[in-house]
Amino acid sequence: MLTVSKLSKVLPDGKPLLKEVSFEVGEGEMVGILGLSGVGKTVLLRCLNRLTEPDGGDVFLKYNGTVLDVAGWRDRELREIRRHFAMVFQSFNLVGRLTALENVLVGRLGCMSTLKGIVGRFSEEDKDAALSYLERLGVGHIAHRRAETLSGGEQQRVAFARARFQGCHVLLADEPVANLDPRTADEVMMQLAEITEAGGICTLAVMHQPDLVRKYCQRVLGIKDGVVVYDGKADLSDEDLDYIYDRKAADASKVA
Amino acid sequence: MKTSITSTIEKLPTLPKWLRLRYFAWLLGIGAFVGACIYLRFSPQALVEGIPNMVKFVRQLFPPDVSVLPSLLKPAMDTVLMAAVATVIAATLSLPLAVLAAGNTGMPRVLRMGSRFGVEVVRVVPDVVLALVFITAVGLGPFPGTLAMAIHSIGMLGKLYREAMEEIDPGPPEAVAAVGATRLQVVRFAVLPAVLPSLVGDTLYRFDINVRSSIIIGFVGAGGIGYRLIVAMRLFKYRELLMILMVVFAIIWLTEKGSDRLRKMIIAEPLLR
Repeated sequence: MLTVSKLSKVLPDGKPLLKEVSFEVGEGEMVGILGLSGVGKTVLLRCLNRLTEPDGGDVFLKYNGTVLDVAGWRDRELREIRRHFAMVFQSFNLVGRLTALENVLVGRLGCMSTLKGIVGRFSEEDKDAALSYLERLGVGHIAHRRAETLSGGEQQRVAFARARFQGCHVLLADEPVANLDPRTADEVMMQLAEITEAGGICTLAVMHQPDLVRKYCQRVLGIKDGVVVYDGKADLSDEDLDYIYDRKAADASKVA
Repeated sequence: MKTSITSTIEKLPTLPKWLRLRYFAWLLGIGAFVGACIYLRFSPQALVEGIPNMVKFVRQLFPPDVSVLPSLLKPAMDTVLMAAVATVIAATLSLPLAVLAAGNTGMPRVLRMGSRFGVEVVRVVPDVVLALVFITAVGLGPFPGTLAMAIHSIGMLGKLYREAMEEIDPGPPEAVAAVGATRLQVVRFAVLPAVLPSLVGDTLYRFDINVRSSIIIGFVGAGGIGYRLIVAMRLFKYRELLMILMVVFAIIWLTEKGSDRLRKMIIAEPLLR
């Protein structure tokens, strides 16, 4: 279980972006994050695996009876923590000149020493495992193609395979389907839901498609003005959406 | 809203003031250029009057003295080898320096500044000057010339490599860091694959330049065909000179073609596995 407590982040200009954000995500649960652009959804995700340093609050990850305190660690310990947090991106962020399989293998670097990782000799076991993850997501046939030659849908599936291969307990997805056509987006979201459930992973997905959120997420966090204004079932009403997206206010100002 | 838009439009006609300033800047620039030419005693007249002399010189070049060709093969090979060895040394040393110097590899500040400064310093000294310095240390021959080119090339390649690294998309390195990879692993798996084509291109381009440089460096006695060229010139052996120039031309043309082909081969193949 992922527990986020009073997480806050202040922008360089001193304005608070996130104000004591607290929530929990259970194992096998997929939570959609909705909110206006610039509200700090991406920063929230990045504070969880500390690609961005939060200014306050706690993050705990509980798995297999261990509790991991994310805050305060550096270097080796920080790398250890990041292994448990996989991240997938809107623009996929695969290494274009490496093959799909190599991109999946990169997921294992967190468990390897610097030297072993740099030599880049992955064991046959690792290669088989990486390939099996690709196959399970239906992209085994493109394993030996360079990532830059793949379609968006294929690239995001490779990124999912990397996350699975990494052995993560938390999956942070930053607009995972924003660059995909509607049909592929639907398929990819379905696979994300399957991965979440099968792996008992806590998944947080920043989304801009309320319909996909209603269809595949179990819960929704609505973020507005730096605080969680909605935390509940994913079948949110249009009024809820209007509130999260501040649409009433926009209408009102138009009239005035 | 409306008022601000109309007021900007009304302001447009006041632009000519700027235009006049720009005019002035152009006039100043052209004036400075003409002044510099006069100072440098540019004289089209002298050039035209000198044409007969040039024709006389060119006629003395022909026919090329083919008999010296066999004796030119070794110096020609020296020239190419000097350039190749210098480029390999420079590339090998420039890569780690560039990784340390790049702003996006997360290296400690001290190392970053140190390697930047080092690369900056060696770039300032021209390779011919370095060659003269090394000749005083180790004597005439290809070794001081190669060393000079290698060191100067570090200054150039170190900078080009670093710039290539700093220009890459930050996304993939961040994704690799996010799985818990160390900084060097991020370099190996995200930065190097992305910059490989640029590095290959920069290096082979540097080799092309070094082939030319090693001819010039030969002038000061640091080995290669350049030395033969300057000697032939000093001794007024113009027919031999033409033969040497033809070999020089062939060297440059062939190495350029060769490096072009090599570049295409390397970039098509995913080398980093």
